[in-house]
Amino acid sequence: MRRRAGESILIGDDIEIQILHIGESRIKIGIVAPKSIPVTMKEMELVRQENLAAAQVRSVAALRGMLDKLIDGPAEITP
Amino acid sequence: MLYPDRMTTIQTTTPQRCETRYFGPVDYDESAILVFPDGIPAFEQETRFLALQQPVNKPLVFLQSLSNPGLCFATLPAQAACPGYQLNMSPEDLDAIGLGGGPQPAIGSEVLCLAILSLEENAPPTVNLLAPIVVNLHTLRGRQAIQADSPYSHREALPLRGAACS
Repeated sequence: MRRRAGESILIGDDIEIQILHIGESRIKIGIVAPKSIPVTMKEMELVRQENLAAAQVRSVAALRGMLDKLIDGPAEITP
Repeated sequence: MLYPDRMTTIQTTTPQRCETRYFGPVDYDESAILVFPDGIPAFEQETRFLALQQPVNKPLVFLQSLSNPGLCFATLPAQAACPGYQLNMSPEDLDAIGLGGGPQPAIGSEVLCLAILSLEENAPPTVNLLAPIVVNLHTLRGRQAIQADSPYSHREALPLRGAACS
């Protein structure tokens, strides 16, 4: 399927994907969908999975031990 | 002589206490609560966190959920993990922390920028520099913001290599 800027794609009865603008390296897309269908970037799923994994860190000591080997000297921290 | 007004004032500034995943009970002040109106991806119900630091564990910052003592993220300031780190937030994410319409916020003076650490057995720790936690320092509103055109992934192994971090 080939589309130009200003054209659309329909998926089923109530989802519309609009090609709004085509730039050199990115395109702007509009998505019309029912509120019940979440529309997110694919990266969001990676972030969700990573957050679930990060929440499992068992001990500060284990983390501290690994970081001590990796980070040289005291890092400035703000605020 | 007693001053009932003053007594009331003192009571309202008494620190609250919460249980934490790693540090036992911790006293905190209401004014230190970070608010994530939409929660954090995979933890959408968790909207209030404390940023905890211990001198002995610098530069680590721990994001402790106030409603769930078992939930605490270990994080590194993004610029501690990667000294040249710059934000490239979407207009929607800027809006969500009250900085809509402005330029990219300055890390340190306008926003706190923390990268969540993850630890798997037999592997170096990784940091999520694709989607740092960004907190408006004036309002303490925060959001995990997926960066546009990010040169970093959600799982950057420490220590980081590459020109952007040297």
